[in-house]
Amino acid sequence: MDAITVNHLRRLYKSTDGIIKRTTKEVVAVEDVSFEIRQGELFGLLGPNGAGKTTSVKMLTTLLIPSGGSASILGLDVVKDANKVRPRIGFIFGGERGLYWRLSGLDNLRYFASLYYVDEATSKKRIPELLKIVGLKGREREKVEGYSRGMRQRLHIARALLHDPEVLFLDEPTMGLDPVGARELRTTVKNLQSANKTILLTTHYMFEADALCQRIAVINKGKIVALDTPEKLKENVQDLSVVEVELYGIPQEVIDRIKALDFVVEVSIENRDQRQVMQVHTPKGPEAIPVLVEHLNGLRIGRIITREPTLEDAYVRLVGGAEQ
Amino acid sequence: MKRIGLNLRIMARAFEIELRQNMTDGFVLFGILIQPLIVAFMALWMLKGKGPDYAIFVVIGSGMTGLWTTLLFNGGNSITGERWTGTLEPLVASPASLRVVIYGKVLANVTQSLLSMIGSYFLISFAMGYPLTLTYPGLFFLSLVISVFSLVSFGLILASFFILIPDFARMVNTLEFPVYILCGFLFPIALLPGWTTPLSYLLSPYWAALALHGAAQGTLEPLQIVGTWGIMAFFSLVYILASGRLYRMILRKARMDATLDIVGN
Repeated sequence: MDAITVNHLRRLYKSTDGIIKRTTKEVVAVEDVSFEIRQGELFGLLGPNGAGKTTSVKMLTTLLIPSGGSASILGLDVVKDANKVRPRIGFIFGGERGLYWRLSGLDNLRYFASLYYVDEATSKKRIPELLKIVGLKGREREKVEGYSRGMRQRLHIARALLHDPEVLFLDEPTMGLDPVGARELRTTVKNLQSANKTILLTTHYMFEADALCQRIAVINKGKIVALDTPEKLKENVQDLSVVEVELYGIPQEVIDRIKALDFVVEVSIENRDQRQVMQVHTPKGPEAIPVLVEHLNGLRIGRIITREPTLEDAYVRLVGGAEQ
Repeated sequence: MKRIGLNLRIMARAFEIELRQNMTDGFVLFGILIQPLIVAFMALWMLKGKGPDYAIFVVIGSGMTGLWTTLLFNGGNSITGERWTGTLEPLVASPASLRVVIYGKVLANVTQSLLSMIGSYFLISFAMGYPLTLTYPGLFFLSLVISVFSLVSFGLILASFFILIPDFARMVNTLEFPVYILCGFLFPIALLPGWTTPLSYLLSPYWAALALHGAAQGTLEPLQIVGTWGIMAFFSLVYILASGRLYRMILRKARMDATLDIVGN
């Protein structure tokens, strides 16, 4: 049986403006999203900011009511059976919010354990185990306000696991973490999957999805644009090479001119401090470099390299070459 | 039966967490400890011509103002606090009844505000030397317990608006003084225009103030005091029953309008 089933899920946000003459604006955040996640699978929902990842997770965790379509967790409808779904899922949202900062980590866990009807005896046994798993043993009596960002994120994980849920939603869990903290958290996520938890992970870090997920759905502007294994997604761009050109300022009209070249499939711009890295997806490989340089005439050019495509390139191709 | 036990545990934990958080908040401590003393001092000054018997009226009146302020600002604002910390969503998405959690939080706020009554008692009795005696001590303490539960039930309804409207905290400022006046905390409602009396009757803090003043000063017969308990119990029951449906409606609306993660101003 699938642990999560999503059928044509849709969510609109309405906003009103004006005092006397009120106008209502509708924004589609999620449009016709469908997928299934098998029990024990680590599934990635990958997309840029504002793509609809968090909205989708909030509908699945019963915090938002869908405007259309349906979704079920372990066979239970997320709207009609919300009260039955809640004890069986755990979730964390990226960032530092969602904890009581003026209380200790232990107080936070004890409180949430009671909210999930974890009895006192189980709670006493489980909390030290979780503290050990997330690496907060010995720091649990300190106030959360004194924790680092990584420690807070790990406390979130412990909170989500208090009631030993079958399904976990991790919404950008490594957001804002330093590389070491992010790596530790990825190890924790991997271990959770080994413990046969079904996990839906949202991220906009390609390498994270590539390293952790068995299947990935790429979401853009509220719609699923691809759904496959990381390997299969990469195959979509195997016929291409990526030429990376380092630049110090590039006008939009030059980007548009390069995009219009017949051998160019996709162009994306990545900002790196004062520089931009233009990534050109092309089947021509290094042969494209002279023509590209010709079009960049007059601009300050840094390093130029040609490389094999990655999952990130597949993703860029799927969501379009918007500036990252 | 098991469910009741689990809910009582959640309520107790919410009570404990709220109390511990409040004890680290200077604004809350001011509302509980300092503001009622200022009110008591000013009221005693204004009413000094009424004689020393009025001192107990001031103790109770100023204590009630502290109770109401705490209920209004801390009880309701605890929801705003949950929004600020981003914990409202985990609370709503947990299997626990939000009503039970909020009941525990409001109970904590109201209980700690009783400190203001004790503070006023010590200020007026020991520091200012007024004689303070209770005509019916037993009935007074029972009235106090019933008043607390009545006010908490009222707070449960009040808090629900904070869930629905992220900016509701702005509106509560306008409710502080009208309730002081309408409920006769510091002077009898007989001094107010007649048309306001039905409004007072609809507010459970009015009956709480009436019972406490009546039991302390002996202005009510024991049977009349028991009568006010009945009215408070009736209101509490109505509030609790209404809150079940109200919370279901409000939570559904908040989930439809996506307002759970909005931080108000």
